[in-house]
Amino acid sequence: MSASDNRTLAQRLLEPKSVDAQALLPKIATYVVLLFWTLVVLFPLYWVLVTSFKSESDVFTGPFYLPFVDFQPNLDAWRFMLLENNTVWPYFNSVIVAVGSTGLAVLIGSLAAYALVRIQFRVKLAAIGCFLLLLAAVVVAVAALGIAWPIAAAVAIVLFVLFLGTIGRRFRLAVGNNDIEFWIISNRIMPPIVAVLPIYVMFQHLHLLDTQVALIATYTAVNLPIVVWLTRDFFAGIPLDLEESAEIDGASKFRVFFTIALPLVRSGLVATLLLVLILAWNEYLLALFLSNANAQTMPVLVSAQNTTRGPQWWYMSVLIVIMIAPVIVIATFLQKHIARGLLIGAVKG
Amino acid sequence: MAVSENNLGELIDRHSGRIMVLPAVLVLLAFAIFPLIISAYLALSRFALAPGGFKLTFIGFYNFKRLLFGVQQYHLLGTFKPLGAIHWVLLLVAVALCVTWLWRYSRVKFSLVGFIGRLISAAFAVALWYFILASIGMGGVPGTLVTTFIYVAIGVTIQFGIGLGLALLCAQPIRARNWFRVIFFIPLIVTPVGIAYVFRMLADMQKGPFAPVSRALGLGEWAWSTEPWSARFMVIAGDTWQWTPFIFIVMLAAVENQPRDQVEAARIDGAGGWQIFRDITWPAIAPIAATVVLIRLIEAFKIIDLPNVLTAGGPGLSTESMTLHSFLAWRTQDLGGSAAVGYILLFASTITCVSFFNFVVTRARRHQV
Amino acid sequence: MNSKLWLAGLTALGAISAASGASADNEFAGVTVNVMTQTGAIQEPLARHAPEFEKLTGAKINIIAVPFSDLYQKVLTDWASGTNSVDAAVFAPQWMVDYVAGGYLEDITDRVAKDTALQWNDIGPFFRDFSAKYDGKTYLIPLDGDFHMLYYRSDVFKAAGLEPPKTWDEYLADAKALNGKDMNGDGTPDFGSCIAKKRNAQSYWFVTDVAGSMIQSKGTSQGTFFDTKDMKPLVNNDAFKKALEFLNESSKYGPPNELNMDVSDTRPLFVSGRCALNLDWGDVGTLSIDPKTSKVIGKWGAEIMPGSKQVLNWETGKLEDCTKDSCPYAVDGVNHAPFAAFGGWSGGINAHASDKVKDAAFAFLSYVGQPAQSGVDVTIGATGFNPYRISQLDYNDTWKKANMAESEAKVYLGAIKESLNNPNMILDLRIPQNQKYQQVTLDEALSRYLSGEIDEATAISTIESGWNDLNDQIGTDAQLKTYKATLGVQR
Repeated sequence: MSASDNRTLAQRLLEPKSVDAQALLPKIATYVVLLFWTLVVLFPLYWVLVTSFKSESDVFTGPFYLPFVDFQPNLDAWRFMLLENNTVWPYFNSVIVAVGSTGLAVLIGSLAAYALVRIQFRVKLAAIGCFLLLLAAVVVAVAALGIAWPIAAAVAIVLFVLFLGTIGRRFRLAVGNNDIEFWIISNRIMPPIVAVLPIYVMFQHLHLLDTQVALIATYTAVNLPIVVWLTRDFFAGIPLDLEESAEIDGASKFRVFFTIALPLVRSGLVATLLLVLILAWNEYLLALFLSNANAQTMPVLVSAQNTTRGPQWWYMSVLIVIMIAPVIVIATFLQKHIARGLLIGAVKG
Repeated sequence: MAVSENNLGELIDRHSGRIMVLPAVLVLLAFAIFPLIISAYLALSRFALAPGGFKLTFIGFYNFKRLLFGVQQYHLLGTFKPLGAIHWVLLLVAVALCVTWLWRYSRVKFSLVGFIGRLISAAFAVALWYFILASIGMGGVPGTLVTTFIYVAIGVTIQFGIGLGLALLCAQPIRARNWFRVIFFIPLIVTPVGIAYVFRMLADMQKGPFAPVSRALGLGEWAWSTEPWSARFMVIAGDTWQWTPFIFIVMLAAVENQPRDQVEAARIDGAGGWQIFRDITWPAIAPIAATVVLIRLIEAFKIIDLPNVLTAGGPGLSTESMTLHSFLAWRTQDLGGSAAVGYILLFASTITCVSFFNFVVTRARRHQV
Repeated sequence: MNSKLWLAGLTALGAISAASGASADNEFAGVTVNVMTQTGAIQEPLARHAPEFEKLTGAKINIIAVPFSDLYQKVLTDWASGTNSVDAAVFAPQWMVDYVAGGYLEDITDRVAKDTALQWNDIGPFFRDFSAKYDGKTYLIPLDGDFHMLYYRSDVFKAAGLEPPKTWDEYLADAKALNGKDMNGDGTPDFGSCIAKKRNAQSYWFVTDVAGSMIQSKGTSQGTFFDTKDMKPLVNNDAFKKALEFLNESSKYGPPNELNMDVSDTRPLFVSGRCALNLDWGDVGTLSIDPKTSKVIGKWGAEIMPGSKQVLNWETGKLEDCTKDSCPYAVDGVNHAPFAAFGGWSGGINAHASDKVKDAAFAFLSYVGQPAQSGVDVTIGATGFNPYRISQLDYNDTWKKANMAESEAKVYLGAIKESLNNPNMILDLRIPQNQKYQQVTLDEALSRYLSGEIDEATAISTIESGWNDLNDQIGTDAQLKTYKATLGVQR
């Protein structure tokens, strides 16, 4: 549009000024599309936000769109949820469970990923087969024959050690690092519904039902595959010589891992951390099974607002808003890391 | 004391690799493999309440037989009708394609494991295709297996399309790019249960925000929730809203990472946008795209909250996914049936994801320059 | 002495003694009771009474609320697995049979006999004898009265010169005539009939309302689900067919998305004035008088469920006109069969809890159920509790305080009384694993039929074979025995 731009209108509309720039018309189209999707993303969230300020009759005689314009907003739902209802405790649970399980998953997962990248493993196929057979035998013995589980487990462990020491040595067929990795990752394919009941029974035997520990342990396991999947490539990307020189200086593998390898993959770790944190923060199905009153988390509280008298939209909206808010803040700050981190993971994954 | 400490340290050092992997393996054994085995046992038995607790009766593959061939077949696989002529042709085409594919594989290089793997993939694809043809194609009713694949196939395709499209647009030299990036990321952090309820609120055509729109369009007498396809579409819409950001954010990083100099050189040579995309951008981002789709596939099979909250699986069976199927069976004490459905889902998603990994992801990576 | 102080002292004394005949001051100090129930309604009154009870007895009451759809399984899993973190639960008496079968529920017959404050005999005989008991023993304390009724808009009917329907045919005719009229003055056409029809919700009960009034005519003990001779499902007959057709046709006069509506969706719809006719539990009555939400105050009425002039001949499977013999309880030639669906929220105690906890749990449930508390609760819509005591069925000051006009009360409480006193009331299915019969087989087939996935014949054969299949699995003879036992209740 400036004076120096003396091209015709058609040119200005359709041809870019330079190779790096966009012509006017495509540029407008780009903005229109992006703004449209912004609307798609933000409108549901806007609706949740205004609903949290509505009263029951505002919702049922609606739709009303603008506070102060077509309905009078009130803080009743907020007051109820934050002051009268016990929301603080589930919120606290959610924070503890999400942070705890994320920390554990990232620690355990990155350790395993680092080892899988740096150390060559060979696990005898026969040993795995024997282990699975014995595990199945224990399950059958306990479930069908009524043998006490500590006895069955002890017998199985003895048999397994015996097998490894004797016959196990003769077999050659073994699985390598790639197979172990694939196995770890493939655990993510398992739908949680398949595993949830046995996990429930397990925690019941350990008297850990309805505790934060149970949820932390389960979430750690569920998210572990993702951590291994993503972090292994960060480690694979580190040049070897740095670590080797440290090892020559006598540092143990653990020291190398914590002092050299981990800091080098910071960016990727942050991305992994955030993704896992989001998954743990939002998990519903497992929490529904494993918690009652003490360890109840926010997603369960959200869905509990659906009653026989219909979903209490206003309460639910308050909960959703206070669940999203902190994560948006975190995500905004860490946003650059996420993209870069996920990219590295995805390139080689 | 000092000596033994030293020994311990040495021991740890010598086995450091194993010690590093051990926690992960133990956690997975306890929370994945062990439950899977117990579930397998559940799937083979009947659960009943009994005084003082419950009773499990071993009944072999009865639960699976009921679902695959017996009285529950309509629920899992669908209600089948005899195929018409066109459908026979379509089915035979699929069979022919699979046979050709296997034939070509076995001529180039042959390994037994590879062949069996491909045989399973091909057989599964043909079976699924038959279920779709015989239920939806002939006006029958698809079961939860087919519905789940509808969600996965259509949902992931749409999400990938939109995610990639937005990423390409966002990679243009535009202002407020970071802004869009942050905003587009948000849906991913909303809890799925919450999203399901939010969409139920939005999709309410009596008092939801779009009620006046639907009334203005003369749709007041029509409800999305009473037609199978519109109800499924609603589920996919919610899923898309949540998961497009995931694909967007990774693809954006990938697009921004493509070789700039090649793109500029092509521009100077006068190449069009489509040409640049096809010849430079796409080959560069294809491996990442394949991996992202794989991650998304794995998660997509687990869909439950949206259909459960929006329509509770209705109208009829039309929006019920397999996880929801399993969940509903569990809720009414049919623990064996629930575990059996869960296992069939595990098989189906494993076959699909492993096939996708072997035949798409690895290939996409191999072609990478 | 100051007379005011005297008075205050007296009231305080009265409150303590009225609280529970059995519990003295701080009797349960240090005892914690976990009570599980559903979120929202039901949770509200329990949570409100818990601190009062804590103050009186020193016990600690934790109300654990879970979504209704998960309640049955949550309680069952906790008790069946031996976790026993739930000491007491407030749930549907229909589920009792499964809990009793596992030996998880405490027999409270003696406790009830000793507790005078509970005023057991004030509880409606139907709930006292049916809801609370199984096999002659008392397991539950009723806190709520549940059965289906018909609701209508008195102003709309009056304007159209119609009478509230007495039969299902009239219901359809009225719904058809009134559908499309503007009933709340907002200029948009409203609906002739609103019935919840959502899958996996609470709608499968409504088919029994219609079918039952044609199948059961000789009193409660005749039963409506199975033939008491051989446990043959009473499904493949003209009565059930007609019930399916009724639901299908009523959709034509209902909201477009009726198939995706639970009672939680139809209630606000009726209360906001958009339905001429509605079938539901007692909740609609108390919601309709709530000035906060209701747009139909003074414009609604309730009636006993419509009935039929024809009843089923069990031998032939055909419908025949009512005679003196076939319909002994008919009113004006119409056989009514009000359906006690669900049976009313009731409290039960975990048999594996410690004695002290059991005592405290019983005292708490008794406290909530005592007339002083319950009489107020049943007049408040938000509690989810509906009248179930004889003393609650007469118009009194609490009803007045709850904003119910005497004329409304006459209609509403009258309809409740008429239903409760009907000797032909339908008992809900209470055989072991009844959830699989109703919530899975019946619900699924019904939903598929209404959505057009399957036709009428397939729906009927699916339900019939599904129920037979379940009978075979669980044991037909055992099921028949239980079924007959539940029906054998003398009222």
